Amino acid sequence: MKDILKHIDWRWKAVLLAAAAIVVTLAARCTMTSISESTVSIAVDEDINITPEQIESIKAIGEWEFLSVADEELVDTTRRGIFTDDHLVRIYYGTVRLGINMHQVKPGWIQTQGDSISVTLPKVGLLSRDFIDEARTKTFHESGRWKPADREALYWKAHRQMLKHCLTQENLRNAGINGEAQFRRMMKALGFDHVSISFEQ
Amino acid sequence: MKKTLLFLTFAGLLLASSSCGKRQPQDVQTVTTEATDTLPQLVTQIQRCAKLYTTEVKIHKIVTHDDVVRLRGNMLSKNFDIPLPLGERKVAIPMDATLKAYIDFSEFSEQNIERHGQRIVILLPDPQVTLTSTRINQKEVKEYVGLTRSHFTDKELTSYEQQGRQAILNNIGNMNIIETAKENAARVLVPMIAQMGYREEDITIAFRKELTIDELKRKIEGLGR
Repeated sequence: MKDILKHIDWRWKAVLLAAAAIVVTLAARCTMTSISESTVSIAVDEDINITPEQIESIKAIGEWEFLSVADEELVDTTRRGIFTDDHLVRIYYGTVRLGINMHQVKPGWIQTQGDSISVTLPKVGLLSRDFIDEARTKTFHESGRWKPADREALYWKAHRQMLKHCLTQENLRNAGINGEAQFRRMMKALGFDHVSISFEQ
Repeated sequence: MKKTLLFLTFAGLLLASSSCGKRQPQDVQTVTTEATDTLPQLVTQIQRCAKLYTTEVKIHKIVTHDDVVRLRGNMLSKNFDIPLPLGERKVAIPMDATLKAYIDFSEFSEQNIERHGQRIVILLPDPQVTLTSTRINQKEVKEYVGLTRSHFTDKELTSYEQQGRQAILNNIGNMNIIETAKENAARVLVPMIAQMGYREEDITIAFRKELTIDELKRKIEGLGR
């Protein structure tokens, strides 16, 4: 190698040296760029896994809804501690549906005579006691650790509050008035001029 | 030295007394400030309607979530994703949902009825599907938490439940509920109209048309919520 270098002109040596310097600089720059563009982070998954939905039952029903009351209830629970208290405050959403169940109509509930019709509907009431959309629940405030049993208790507290606020005499009366108007309109559309609508007591 | 120490002590006392003096008006202000209700306003929305629910579908789903702490990044133009040991959390949340399909009769009028002699055709609007309730089986919720991790918070659990709810809504289109709702509507309405003097074979319950997938998605309440 030394022999080869001895025979090379000093100008060529300078060129070779400059070229080597450029290569080393470029290599160093590339390495620095890739290091500076490197990222390291700690991450956790926030999405749920894909799991199937199983249809447990399909049922034929006949429920007329005349009034729906969409409600949200703020419920809370407190656990007393030695130094601090723990709190859990959640907002529950639900829709209380009022109407009649057509499976409860009695024989002869429709009587016709010429252009007259008399309809006797079942009593207006709550269509289903499962009216809370629990999976829509939002956490408003939380301190401390809470168990499933605490959440279950909160659900029933929200259930009671919703029933108290939504299943009122006024709402039942309004549902009845609306039901009567809707059935009257339907019977008129079906061609009956004289329509009588009543509810079972 | 003694002078410096004396000066520092004096300065410290002065600062302490001035900070004590400042606290007093703050206390007064706290007392005089009116208590504000920071809780969100809760709304009750009452709506008159005329919906005939014809089909009820009960759905069961187990929402699962694997929560592994991962070291992710990019080094020398190469991506890496390494799960860290003892950093795993898992939760399984059993959930039940009730879907109901209904026919909206609020716009029902003479235009929905066609008569051809003794025959009657009731033309109904397209059925719609709504999620009427969901229930979390709290007693059966299973959690596994690694040594280095904290327990699932209520906020995290509700977030997974909301995702599970949305997954159910997204899958309604594949459950063939609309067709069942149409058949069941006839089961409710035909006996009712028969009591008005029509023979059952003369009654036809018809619907507008077959729904496309996009139309079906629009008929599902809350899909975009």
